[in-house]
Amino acid sequence: MKKDGRRKVKDEDLKPVEKEDVVNEKDVLTDSEDGSIESPVVSDDDYGSFSEDDDSARNSDSESESASEQSEFSEDENDENPSNEGDLSDGVDDINQEYQSASEDSREVVDESDSSEDEVGPRNTIGDVPLEWYKEEEHIGYDVAGKKIKKKERQDKLDSFLARTDDSNSWRKITDEIEDEDVELTKEETKLIRRLLKGHAPHADFDPHAVRPYVDWFAWDGAKHPLSNAPEPKRRFIPSKWESKKVVKYIRAIRKGLITFDKPKEQPRFYNLWGDETSSNEKGHGLSYIPAPKPKLPGHEESYNPSLEYIPTQEEISAYQLMFEEDRPKFIPKRFTSLRGVPAYEKSVRETFDRCLDLYLCPRARKKRINIDPESLKPKLPSRKDLKPYPTTCYLEYKGHNGPVSSICTDPSGQHIASGEPVKHVAWNPLPELPILAVSMGQDVFLLDTGLEKEEQKMISDLLQVETSTTPDESESAVSVSWSQYDKYEGIRIKHFKKLTQRLPFKLHGLPVSSTFHPTRSIFFVSTKKNVRVYDLVKKKFIKKLEAGVREISSISIHPGGDNVIVGSKDGKLCWFDMDLSSKPYKILKSHPKDITNVAFHRNYPLFASCSDDCTAYIFHGMVYSDLNQNPLIVPLEILHGHTTTNGRGVLDCKFHPRQPWLFTAGADSVIKLFCH
Amino acid sequence: MDIDGDIEDASRRVQVRFVTKLKPPFKAPTTSIALPSNLTRMGLSAVVNNLLQSGNDDWKPEPFDFLIDGELVRMSLEDFLLAKGISAEKTLEIEYIKAVAPRKEEDPSLHDDWVSAVDGSNPFIVTGCYDGLGRIWKAAGVCTHVLEGHNGAITSVGVVKSNNNENDTNMVVATGSKDRTVKLWKFDTELQEENLKLSSFRTLRGHTASVQTLASHPNGNMICSGSWDCRINLWQTESNEGDIVSIKKRKKGNKEEESQSEGEAVSTLVGHTQCVSSVVWPEYGTIYSASWDHSIRRWDVETGKDTINMYCGKVVNCIDIGGESSALIAGGCSDPTLRIWDPRKPGTLAPSFQFSSHTSWITACKWHKSSWFHLLSSSYDGKVMLWDLRTAWPLAIIDSHEDKVLCADWWKGDSVVSGGADSKLRISSEISIA
Repeated sequence: MKKDGRRKVKDEDLKPVEKEDVVNEKDVLTDSEDGSIESPVVSDDDYGSFSEDDDSARNSDSESESASEQSEFSEDENDENPSNEGDLSDGVDDINQEYQSASEDSREVVDESDSSEDEVGPRNTIGDVPLEWYKEEEHIGYDVAGKKIKKKERQDKLDSFLARTDDSNSWRKITDEIEDEDVELTKEETKLIRRLLKGHAPHADFDPHAVRPYVDWFAWDGAKHPLSNAPEPKRRFIPSKWESKKVVKYIRAIRKGLITFDKPKEQPRFYNLWGDETSSNEKGHGLSYIPAPKPKLPGHEESYNPSLEYIPTQEEISAYQLMFEEDRPKFIPKRFTSLRGVPAYEKSVRETFDRCLDLYLCPRARKKRINIDPESLKPKLPSRKDLKPYPTTCYLEYKGHNGPVSSICTDPSGQHIASGEPVKHVAWNPLPELPILAVSMGQDVFLLDTGLEKEEQKMISDLLQVETSTTPDESESAVSVSWSQYDKYEGIRIKHFKKLTQRLPFKLHGLPVSSTFHPTRSIFFVSTKKNVRVYDLVKKKFIKKLEAGVREISSISIHPGGDNVIVGSKDGKLCWFDMDLSSKPYKILKSHPKDITNVAFHRNYPLFASCSDDCTAYIFHGMVYSDLNQNPLIVPLEILHGHTTTNGRGVLDCKFHPRQPWLFTAGADSVIKLFCH
Repeated sequence: MDIDGDIEDASRRVQVRFVTKLKPPFKAPTTSIALPSNLTRMGLSAVVNNLLQSGNDDWKPEPFDFLIDGELVRMSLEDFLLAKGISAEKTLEIEYIKAVAPRKEEDPSLHDDWVSAVDGSNPFIVTGCYDGLGRIWKAAGVCTHVLEGHNGAITSVGVVKSNNNENDTNMVVATGSKDRTVKLWKFDTELQEENLKLSSFRTLRGHTASVQTLASHPNGNMICSGSWDCRINLWQTESNEGDIVSIKKRKKGNKEEESQSEGEAVSTLVGHTQCVSSVVWPEYGTIYSASWDHSIRRWDVETGKDTINMYCGKVVNCIDIGGESSALIAGGCSDPTLRIWDPRKPGTLAPSFQFSSHTSWITACKWHKSSWFHLLSSSYDGKVMLWDLRTAWPLAIIDSHEDKVLCADWWKGDSVVSGGADSKLRISSEISIA
C-alpha cells in the first residue's frame, strides 16, 4: 500500500521535471503532510534490480530512523527545511535517474487509469507506447481525429526555475507527458496524493480503524487443521540486520565496479519469414534428419464430388487398366452425390500391410554408403596419343600369293620381306652380313642365301658347308646334340621340330609348338602346348618352366631386353611373363575371341602385337623399365582390321618392321598388309 | 552482259574486273562487270570465255583458273569472299590464268617390269626399270637407247648435266641399282636409232647395300647417291687418271671396244641411321637428303657436316627443293600427306603447307622448274596429282596408271611423265603453266 502510493506520486512528478523540482515537490509534499519524511526514492524498491533494492535498503537503513525522528520535530514546520530533505534524497537520485525512464510506461498506465477515469478521455490516442518513440518527432501523438498533436515549446531549465520561483503555486504544477500539458493540481488532489503517499485510504472519510462488527468469513466448522491464531512474531516487523549488511556489501561492490550488470539482450530486429523451417530444425537433431517429402495438396479432382471435367471417361479408365502398375495414375476421380455415399477406402488394408512391411524392413541404423565412381577404380593408363608412334592404318598391301600366307619375315635392314605360302615358317638371319633365309617346309629346313654377290656367295657357301656338317641349323640330319656348341649361329632359327625333339638332349613333355632364342644369352625357349621350358644351351640344362595356365600355347616371342616373354594361346589369351618375377604370368590379356596365331615384339620400339584368327591384330604398348622395381607397363593401343577370313582362318602371322613402328600381317586371304603409324 | 540476264537475284552481285598476265589473245577487256555471287570457277570461266569471244569470233573455249588476292578460287564467289573476309562492296579484281590440267594423254611407253625411276629434266626421258635396264625415250613410245649392264633392278636415274660444251650432243646419264652400284652412261642425243644398246662407261662401287637414290651436281662433275647402307656417297663423274684409281679394261665379249672405268667414292656423308631414300643437289655446296630415320638433312659438301637436321616423325620417301627462291622443301612421308617445309622459318619444324588428297604413301614429289607454285606428287594409290600452293585442293589428278605409281617428273615444262608398277611410262602433256 505504502509503496504503491509513493511510487505513483513520484512517477508523476519526478520524471518529467528536473531533479530539483522533484526534491522540492517531495519536500513540499512530505512537509505539508506530516507523515514520515521518508524519501520516495529511497523506498522505491520495486524496479526489480539490485541497485534499487540496495539503495532503498541502505537508505531505509540509514535514513529511515533519522527521517522518522525528523518527521517528529518538523511536523509543524512548513516549507522550512527543503534543503534537509534534498540532501537526503540527492545521493540516491543519481542512481535512480536512469531507471526512471525505463519504467515510465508502466507507471503512466497506472496514472491514466487512476486520474482520468471520470474525465473526458485522453486527447492523445497513441496508446500504451513508450514516449521515447516520439522523442525525435515534432508531435507527440495523434488525437481522435488522427491529427498530429504538436509538442509544446519546452522551457529551458533556467526559465522554468525562474517561473517556478516566481509562481508560488508552481509546486502544484505537474506536466502531463502524454497530453503534453501542464496540469495544476487542485487542493483536493494534493490532499488525495498525500493520503496515498502516506498509505492511508485515499478518501478522507474512510476510516480503516472504525470499529465494525467482526465478520468471521472463515468457516471454522469441520476444519481439521484450524488456522493458527497466534500473533505475528516480532521479527517480521524488524528489518533484518543481516540483510542490510549484505545489501551494503553489494552496493559497495557495485560502486567499485566489481558487479556489473548484463546488458539487456538485444532481440534480432528481423527474422526470415520465408526461411526453410526444416533446415533450422535439422540443427537440433543428433541424427541427420531427412524430412519427408511434402505431400501434394489435394486438388479439386480429389473431391468426393468433383466437376465433371475431372471424371475420366470409360475409355480412359479401361486404358488405365492396360497400363503398368507404376504408370497408372494413383487416384482416379469418382463422383458421389453426397459425402455419405463415399465408401470406405478400399486400399486401406493393403496400405497398412505395406506400411507394416516398410517398418519391418526399414533399416534401424544409418548405413554409410561409399560413393565411388567406377571409372576411378580403373588403372590410370597413359593416353594413346603419348605413346605414338605405333601402327594404325594400312597403306600397303602385298599381293601375289594364291593361298594363305603362313609366315613372313623381314630382313634385318627392313628392306625386304619374305613370305611363305605352303611353307611352315620363314626366318632371316638377324646378322645383316649373312643374309640367309631359313625356310622350314615339310620335314626339311632349307637355307637360302639372298642378295649376295659372287665372292661373298662363295664365302657363304663355304660357311654353310661348314655348317651343314656341324651346325644344327642346317637340317635335321645334322641336328643333334652339337647345335648348342654352335649357337653363335643361332641367328638362323630352327623352326621345325618334328623330329628334332627326339634328339634334343632335353626331354620335353609334349610336342613343341614354338621356340625362340634369348636375344643376348645362350638361352633357348621351347613352348609345348601347356607350358614354356627354358634351357641353357651352354650348360645344357633345364633352367625353369613357365606355366601359362592356358589351354594351348600357339606362339612365343621374347622382349629384346630378354627378361620378358609373351605367349599367345589358342583360347585367345596373351600371357606376359616377367622372367625375374615368377613362373606365372605377370599379366594375362584376354583380347581375341579366337585363337592367337602369333605374337611379336618390336626390336626398338616398346611395342608388341598379337594376331589372331578373328582377322584382327592387336597392338600393345609394352614398356619394360630398366628399374627392376617398376613393373612393365602394358597399354592396349590399337586393333588393326583389314583381313578377311578364309576357311575360318584370319591373320596367320605378324612381324614388326625391324626399324620402323610398322607391322606386317600375313592373312589367310593371301594378302600381306603393312600397317604404318 | 548476256550472262547477267538469267540471274534473277540482283541483290547478290559482285562488281568484278578481270585482269590477266596472259598474252593478248587471252586478254579480256578490263571493264568492271557485275556478276552473281554464286558463280563458281566454272561460271567465271564461262564469263571470261564469253568476254573473249565477244572480242574474237574464232575463239575456242579455254578453261581458266581464277585468283583473288593470290588465292585460287575453289568455291562460289560468295563463299570465298565470306571465308576470306573480303568486302563485296568494292570492285573485285580477279586474275585469271590458264587452268593447269593435262589436256592430252600420250600413249603409254611399255616396259618389261616396274618403272621405278624417271628423269624428265632434259628433252629426252630417262627411265629405270626393275628388269635392270635403263631406257632413254625421245617421245612417247620412242625409245632411243637401252642402258644395259646392271645386275639388279634400277632404283634411280639422273641426267648428269654436261655443260662444258654447247655443241656437245653427248649426254651422261647415271643410274643406281639394287646391285649396289651406280653406273654412268654416255650417249649421243642426236642419234636417231631405235633401241640402241649401250653399256656404261663407268661403274661406281662403294655402297654395301642397294642404291636407292642419286642426284647430280648442278654443273655435272659430281654425283651423289643415297643407299640402304645409310650413307650418301659422292662420286666423280669423269675419271681423272691421276686422282682416283681407275681400272681400265677391255670388254672382250663386246664387239665395240669400250673403255670401262671404275670409281670410288670421293667422300661419304655419314649421319643417317637408316636407308637414305632421297637426295637432292640443288646448289653447288649443299645436298638435301631424306631418310627412313625420319629426318631430312642438309649437308655442306665441303665439310661433310649436316647443317640442318629436321625431324619429321615419319619415314620420308622423297623430297624435292624448289618453290619460292628455291628454298622450300617438299616431302612425301609414309602417309598420304604431301608436306612442304620452309627451312628459313626459324624455330619450327611444322610444315607450312600440307596437301592430303592421296590415299597412300607418296612416292615422288617434284617442283615445277619455272613456277614457284606448282608441284606434282605421285603415290601408291595410283594417282599423280598436280598442286598449286595457292589452294589446298589438287589442280588435277592424273589417274591413268592401273597400279602404284613409283616415280614421276615434269618433262619439258608442260608434261608430266610417270612410271608405275603397271610397267608403263605415262606422259600427260599440254599442261599450261604460265
